[in-house]
Amino acid sequence: MKTAMTKLFRIRELPVFLALVIVVLITGTANPEFFTLSGFQDITLGVAVVATLAVAQTLVIVMKHIDLSVGSTIGFSAYLIGDASSQGHGFWYCMGLALALGLAVGAANGFMVAYLQLPSLVVTLGTLYIVRGIFNEVAGGNTITEDMVPGPINFIGLNTFFGIPYLFIVAVVLMLIVGFIMKRIRSARDLYAIGSNLLAAELGGIPVARRVFLAFLATGAVSGLAGAVLLARFNTAAANSGNGLELSVVAACVVGGVAIAGGVGTVYGAVIGAILLQAITMALGALGIPQFWQLAVNGTLLIAAISLDRYLSTRVKPTSIMGAK
Amino acid sequence: MIKKLAKVVAAAAIVGALVATAVTPASAVVPGIKTGLKIAIMPKAVNIGYFTAWNKGAQKACKEIGAKCDYVGPTEATGPAQVQFINKIIQQRYDVLVISAADQNAIVPSLNRAKARGITVVTSDADVAAASSKSRVVSVLPAASDRIGTAQVDWIAEAVGKKGSIAVLSAAATAANQNAWIAAMGPYLTKKYPNMSWVGGTVDKSTFYGDDDATKSTAQFAAILSQYPDVAGIISPTTVGVLAAAIEKKAKNAKVKVTGLGLPSQMAPYIEDGTTEKVGLWNPIDLGYVAVYAAARAESGTFNGRVGSSFKAGNKTYKVTKGGIAFLGDPFTFTKKNIATFKKIY
Amino acid sequence: MKKKYTFGWDQGVAIFLLMTVVIGSFVSEYFANFDNISFVIQDIAEIAIIALAMTYLIIAGEIDLSVASILCLSSATLGFLFRNGAPFEMAILGGLLVGLLCGLINGFLVTVVGLPSLAVTIGTLALFRGLCYALLGNEPVNELPEEWIVLGYENIPGTFLPWSTIPLAILAAIAWIVLHYTRIGRWTFAIGINPEAAKFSGIPVARMKLGLFAVTGLMSGVAGVVYTLRFASASPDGAVGYELSVIAAVLFGGVAIAGGVGTLWGVLAAVLSLGAIRSVLQLIDFSANALLVVSGALLLISVVVPKAIEIYQSRRNSAFVTKI
Repeated sequence: MKTAMTKLFRIRELPVFLALVIVVLITGTANPEFFTLSGFQDITLGVAVVATLAVAQTLVIVMKHIDLSVGSTIGFSAYLIGDASSQGHGFWYCMGLALALGLAVGAANGFMVAYLQLPSLVVTLGTLYIVRGIFNEVAGGNTITEDMVPGPINFIGLNTFFGIPYLFIVAVVLMLIVGFIMKRIRSARDLYAIGSNLLAAELGGIPVARRVFLAFLATGAVSGLAGAVLLARFNTAAANSGNGLELSVVAACVVGGVAIAGGVGTVYGAVIGAILLQAITMALGALGIPQFWQLAVNGTLLIAAISLDRYLSTRVKPTSIMGAK
Repeated sequence: MIKKLAKVVAAAAIVGALVATAVTPASAVVPGIKTGLKIAIMPKAVNIGYFTAWNKGAQKACKEIGAKCDYVGPTEATGPAQVQFINKIIQQRYDVLVISAADQNAIVPSLNRAKARGITVVTSDADVAAASSKSRVVSVLPAASDRIGTAQVDWIAEAVGKKGSIAVLSAAATAANQNAWIAAMGPYLTKKYPNMSWVGGTVDKSTFYGDDDATKSTAQFAAILSQYPDVAGIISPTTVGVLAAAIEKKAKNAKVKVTGLGLPSQMAPYIEDGTTEKVGLWNPIDLGYVAVYAAARAESGTFNGRVGSSFKAGNKTYKVTKGGIAFLGDPFTFTKKNIATFKKIY
Repeated sequence: MKKKYTFGWDQGVAIFLLMTVVIGSFVSEYFANFDNISFVIQDIAEIAIIALAMTYLIIAGEIDLSVASILCLSSATLGFLFRNGAPFEMAILGGLLVGLLCGLINGFLVTVVGLPSLAVTIGTLALFRGLCYALLGNEPVNELPEEWIVLGYENIPGTFLPWSTIPLAILAAIAWIVLHYTRIGRWTFAIGINPEAAKFSGIPVARMKLGLFAVTGLMSGVAGVVYTLRFASASPDGAVGYELSVIAAVLFGGVAIAGGVGTLWGVLAAVLSLGAIRSVLQLIDFSANALLVVSGALLLISVVVPKAIEIYQSRRNSAFVTKI
């Protein structure tokens, strides 16, 4: 029993989960609307996109890398799906297109980071610009409207399963699958080793380049497929879709315990982090904080969340985080 | 004698022809406008559907007057981004600049510089700050701010049955157009619809900013519903906002009424299925069309933009009112009855 | 070996700048004139000023994503103070102080609280910009004194250089000398190459980093003042996205993201090149979308090319083959 309890307290995700509980309680007390089914659906719907991307980003951050191109990829993908559908192509064709885009971007990123050994911050910043530029050129001033959204995607976006929005279920299922893979499958666990100590990983026989490449490929693929999630959520897409999402995703991961320094964190933490950030944003409104102060408060709470996680991480579990890179 | 006369007549004819070609502009397509003008059409940002329509009108006018028109602008709708392109216009020695101001202050020094280099500047759709109105010849706007603001209040009042509380889902907090329209809404509601109120007490406290971003607008719509569950109606004076509101309302099966400024092509599905009863907008195609005419006439010296003066664009004449602004007329409203025709136009 | 190729890249950027100017003059009749040079310098002035400080930060192994928000907050403070009756000079001072303060906050969170700079500056990015909105609401300040505004867009009389060249040139000269010829500069490199070793050799690492963040904040403040004058207004949505342009310029200038490597003149050449090439491409009618792609491509080139050279040279010189 005692070991079970200490084990519970040492779970890396505990701090962020507690923070989430606190925020929900405070908000709910101030505005009981929050505790209704509608409030629950608001949060889960609002978080679906970022949570999906955060799951993928975890793969990359635990290796001490980063992928800033996800915002551009998901936006472009959402637009392509709608565009192809409006030209009469079927659902599977559109999804195939989205996947192809994601794989292309992921492969480009992966190749440059894994095999050319270039810094991921620079590479993905470059692909962020390139993909966005191409996306803008393709999209021009067009907007994808609801009638252009493929039926299945529209359905998932609008409906719930016993009250839980399908979109959220998609994110959760993805989280469970990836979480399982990262814990049980050896080649996925290698990602943690690569992030903790690259040299040791190499010397230990891990094919680092291949792992890194596949991780970026996977992130790209998820970002591409997640275009369907973006499209389902907003039933619209245009040249500015997905703009700036990458920072929210990285923030969600960091708050959720996936340290930038690599080697620690799980997708469960990332998703909880995403939910926490969403809850904070909604809480600000529910608590009646004046519009013009909301961004400042949001930023402060983000810093507080990161600080709390850092503080507790050094207490909860011995880590070897060597600081800020 | 006849031979001499013939010579004189021939000479006179030749001289007359030469004088005629010198005096009238070569193949004058529209009287009073120089042909071959180099015109720059600059939207707030190039990848926005509304401005694609605006450009359509501008290009139509350009064809009619025989001018060469280029649609140039930044990818982000900010003042500093536009300034870079204004510099490009200056460098490439355009004759005329028709611009929708992304920031009513930030572009003013650059517009002044353009003016100093002899470029005729006309703003359309979005103007510079009133204090800087000298940096452009005239501004072509859809309708007076209060008309646009009060019209939307009328639409929402009609939809909610003239009672209940309402909120506003706007664009960016710094969006000058929207702020002017919203300012007109406040006193009008109190005066004309005594049984209606603002959710937050005053219009300022009831305005939520969606930043013309689909994600943020959707989130703010949800925020309005969660903070004020009894809200009867939401006005969204921006095409991105009203679209997001309609989509969200349908998705959540909410009871709140939605109206605002919407592009008929985007709002058609939601008008047809009753999600929203009515939205309105002026025709951006007209805005672009009229602005080009105003600018071309100003460049040709036949129009000076002074208050009280007027100019002709197509078949209509437009008069310049206080502040150097020419208005198009009242906005159109789109309902089930006429959406079918309009959704194909813009 | 490493020093050699980085030195080569810096020279490469300078050559790139030269080539852009030369080719640009041929390709577009509108490029190579004094007017346009003035435009380009004005265009990049704010980014260049911030890049001077960001160079130090990245060499020392840190990063600051909140610089654009600090710029905006300094500008907003300036506007707010002036609108509420402060004399313009005091308002400028206020703006600079706010920049310094923001930098200190960043530095504190990184060195004292121990948070990773990438993550924490995402938070301060939101916080500082949020304060801009809190200060100005939805009313930008647009009535600034005429004699100051002319400094924003006029040239120094008798030359083709805009007034903003003066602060830029002075700060660039100071930054250059300090980075390459003083102890502080050497310490910066040392911290970037190996923070542990630096600490053990007596360098006050934490204090240095705090100072670097503070200076970055101050430079962002200076850029904020320049920005306010250039656009004759202070608005809460100013300079959105500038941080990526600054970082892109510093990286293009040959500063390694891993730290420990870089030169200041490489960064200056990079900033000027990016401004010049954007001008050339715009004048030959590249669309704004195409310019985005070019920016991304240049960034990738800035890391792919040196790596390609390194691979080629190591293949030539040694028996070991790099892992591909």
